[in-house]
Amino acid sequence: MISSRRDAKEGQSGWRVVWLAASLWLLGLLWMPGTASAGSVEIIVSPDEAGTHIDRTLLRAIFTMRLRQWPNGTPIHVFVLPDRDAVTDLFCREQLGTYPYVMRATWDRVVFTGTGLAPTVVGSEREMRERIRTTPGAIGYVRSGDTSDRRSSWPTLLLAALPGKPRG
Amino acid sequence: MAEPLRILAARRAVRRTLAALLAVALCRSALALDYQVHGYVAQGFVLSSGNNFFGTSTDGSLDYYEAGLNAEVQVRSNLLFAAQGAIRAAGVTDTGRPRLDYALMDYRFLPGINAGANLDVDAGIRIGKVKNTVGFFNETRDVIFTRPSILLPSVYGDNQNQRDLVFAAPGVQLYGNLDWGNHEFSLVGTASSNRGVSQAEDRLLVSLSVPFSLRIEDSWNAQIMDSIDGGRWQLGVSAFYGRFILTATVPTVPPEGLYGTIGVGLDVLSARYNGEKLSITAEYALNPNKDAITLGGATLQNSDIIADTGYVQADYRLTSQWGVMARFDAAFLDRNDRNGRAYAAANPGADPASRYSYDFTVGVHWRYGEHWGVWGEYHLIDGTQNVQPLQNPGRQLADHWSMLMLMAGYTF
Repeated sequence: MISSRRDAKEGQSGWRVVWLAASLWLLGLLWMPGTASAGSVEIIVSPDEAGTHIDRTLLRAIFTMRLRQWPNGTPIHVFVLPDRDAVTDLFCREQLGTYPYVMRATWDRVVFTGTGLAPTVVGSEREMRERIRTTPGAIGYVRSGDTSDRRSSWPTLLLAALPGKPRG
Repeated sequence: MAEPLRILAARRAVRRTLAALLAVALCRSALALDYQVHGYVAQGFVLSSGNNFFGTSTDGSLDYYEAGLNAEVQVRSNLLFAAQGAIRAAGVTDTGRPRLDYALMDYRFLPGINAGANLDVDAGIRIGKVKNTVGFFNETRDVIFTRPSILLPSVYGDNQNQRDLVFAAPGVQLYGNLDWGNHEFSLVGTASSNRGVSQAEDRLLVSLSVPFSLRIEDSWNAQIMDSIDGGRWQLGVSAFYGRFILTATVPTVPPEGLYGTIGVGLDVLSARYNGEKLSITAEYALNPNKDAITLGGATLQNSDIIADTGYVQADYRLTSQWGVMARFDAAFLDRNDRNGRAYAAANPGADPASRYSYDFTVGVHWRYGEHWGVWGEYHLIDGTQNVQPLQNPGRQLADHWSMLMLMAGYTF
């Protein structure tokens, strides 16, 4: 849009557009410091499922609790951080293309109709990594690039760095 | 005698199921089963002007509460057992007695087939007492944490008399999910067994001075829902049908048999948009009622009318804890006589306003942590379609009235 406007206008107005764009960019940096520093979220799975290819369709089917087993037949165990955790918010937006409240409504519906199990809520990313490392068929998410508690023996768990698509 | 025996047998079966579920749950470590226990409890308060709604709400009523406890046990990834016991009180429309909300076995015979790029299918069967899938909220209508307001929109007839009919029933349910690109389709079809109607409801449905029997037959339900773009858009079509069978013996000389069939349908169109802060929900329902009642073989009543109802609701999330809502809701007992004038003309003394209700609602809710929630809403209502006469004995119903509802709940 900016380039087309620049083409349509002459000289001075073109500089105005550049200035406006720069201002907006700076404003954006100020507006979203949390997002900028938060990085993004990566999906982690238990070592025994490391070979499974996970696309967004499969990820949604898993996290809406509709899919109950991996292709090899192992039951899926879904781990999540609390609804209000910033990483959950990022995960829902980036990986599922939705919002935490939509997922909560889905899980509540599953729980109060007896049609499935709710995901297991863990208290921290450290616990998330530990539970997923030790639970067969587990899947969860952590902030990407967060290596503070990564152990040297930690297997390569990043399976699908899905293209980020922030919503809203 | 057959009916009480059947009820006793059903209760025994339910007890055995619950005992088995409990035993399985307790043996979890030995069998490495997955199980979960969840519950909810909420207390409401209703203060209304003009008409009593739940309890004697013109004086302020606490006769509105709900609680439930459920357990799910996943034996294998394709086999799940689940049951929930619940209580709910809502003035004359619900008794507060414990009831089995659902108890089912869910077998996933198609665990999920990745049939190609962006196409995935799964399917299964549920057997037992299962919830009917009608609109967005029928299945979880009694859990304040899952419904869109304290009082459900009139599409769901929260203060009406069709809970036994529409809510849940013993039967068989087939379901399937299809992921196709950005669409997640879900299909559910339910065939329900013939069943009786609780005492609390049959007195709301039938006004007869002689003992009578009311049963439900031929009831089925189907729904197709499309969740687009991770739930950003949700579109659904639901259909429900059931037939009440009314029988009684009128003590004339000689005694004459009263027999009635009342066919009830409920077809719902649902649409929802879920934005980051704003959600818009709209549903519209057609509710055909076809009655044929005979006394001693002669026609007593023969009617075929279609009620309809709909609402539009906007929800705005101010923060992750606070949200506000506004809703416009309208319900008509006869879509061809929305102002009730034709009915009043044909039934001298009848109030046209008893044939419709318009309800404008504003509300606010506050969620504290994962477990607590408080809701408040104010209803400004024109018409008395949604008022129970049995809740207002000896009262002249007010056509223009209002209601404040508060509810506090806990879930885990």
